[in-house]
Amino acid sequence: MNLLLLYLLLLKATLTTFSGMSSLPLVRADFVVRHKVLTDQQLSRAVAVSRMAPGPNGLYLVSVGYIVAGTAGAGAAFVALVTPAFLIIAFLKFLGRNAEHPIALRVTQAVTLASGGLIATALIPLARSSIDGPFSLTVAATSFLVLVATSIDTVWVVVAAAAAGLARRGLP
Amino acid sequence: MARIRLTEIAAVFLRAGNLTFGGGDPTMAVLQRELVNRRKWLTAEQYGLIYGLARVTPGTNVLAFYAGSAWLLRGLKAAAVAVLSICLPSAAMVVWLTYSLERWGSIGWVKAASEAIMAAAAGMVAASAWLLITPFFRKAGPVKTLAIAGGAAALAIAGVTPIPVLALAALAGCLWKGPPPA
Repeated sequence: MNLLLLYLLLLKATLTTFSGMSSLPLVRADFVVRHKVLTDQQLSRAVAVSRMAPGPNGLYLVSVGYIVAGTAGAGAAFVALVTPAFLIIAFLKFLGRNAEHPIALRVTQAVTLASGGLIATALIPLARSSIDGPFSLTVAATSFLVLVATSIDTVWVVVAAAAAGLARRGLP
Repeated sequence: MARIRLTEIAAVFLRAGNLTFGGGDPTMAVLQRELVNRRKWLTAEQYGLIYGLARVTPGTNVLAFYAGSAWLLRGLKAAAVAVLSICLPSAAMVVWLTYSLERWGSIGWVKAASEAIMAAAAGMVAASAWLLITPFFRKAGPVKTLAIAGGAAALAIAGVTPIPVLALAALAGCLWKGPPPA
């Protein structure tokens, strides 16, 4: 995939959402469904990999960029990830406290809620590609429960899942 | 207050962004302690304003928070330094991990670990949706929460692409009467 197109598609995903993982449905729609340059399995892997590193959750886009177009793709994805952040400077200059205006807050709230709904639907194909039996279902359900019910760091969930996978197969 | 050096800004943001796991909120909490309480580079009001604006800035909120707070400290250069300090090392690590899994993912034991990690990722995505939606049952009420999140999910299942769904949600947010969000 052409780097400019990669950048623009990822920028579209980051510019139209309000949190790191909210861009997932747009990324899936463009890269998995429309352009077919990524599989659901690779997208799941990108999400998992980004949770193994510190930093913002949106870093999964860098993994997507790398899978689609190598190191240059990772660079383009990185730029797409950080570009919208600089809009806050314009907001600080021109909007100031108007950002707390009820309509601005209502719109943000509604878009965030819709993003939650979209993420829930994006989960369906991701789960189909990564859950294929009782073991993977248990790993997925346990990860979900641990993340919603405790404040344990995600990286430990990833480490525990990898350890469970290794234990099931037998260590190398 | 003495002019803050870019290297000092880079050091603070580098440490907060790359030694804190768990996404944006823990990192912003670390930065609040560093910038407001410890170093007194920002007032609590400035922190609150940047936090509020970061919530309405598209993209990853925490990145907007870094850019905004560093911009208040020393302008555009500082904003760029902060965002790069906080993201570049983590991004390099993500690239290395992705490369490793792509390169060695077919080896038996790597594959076993990788498949379990991907199952965990499905749980993470479910948790992400859950944690994004459930606070709104209290903040916006169950009717609005279910109508917007459920409506978006229903439209997506019906085949509507995400951009129109998000645009409709924004319109619904504009028109929906009720108390201002908490």
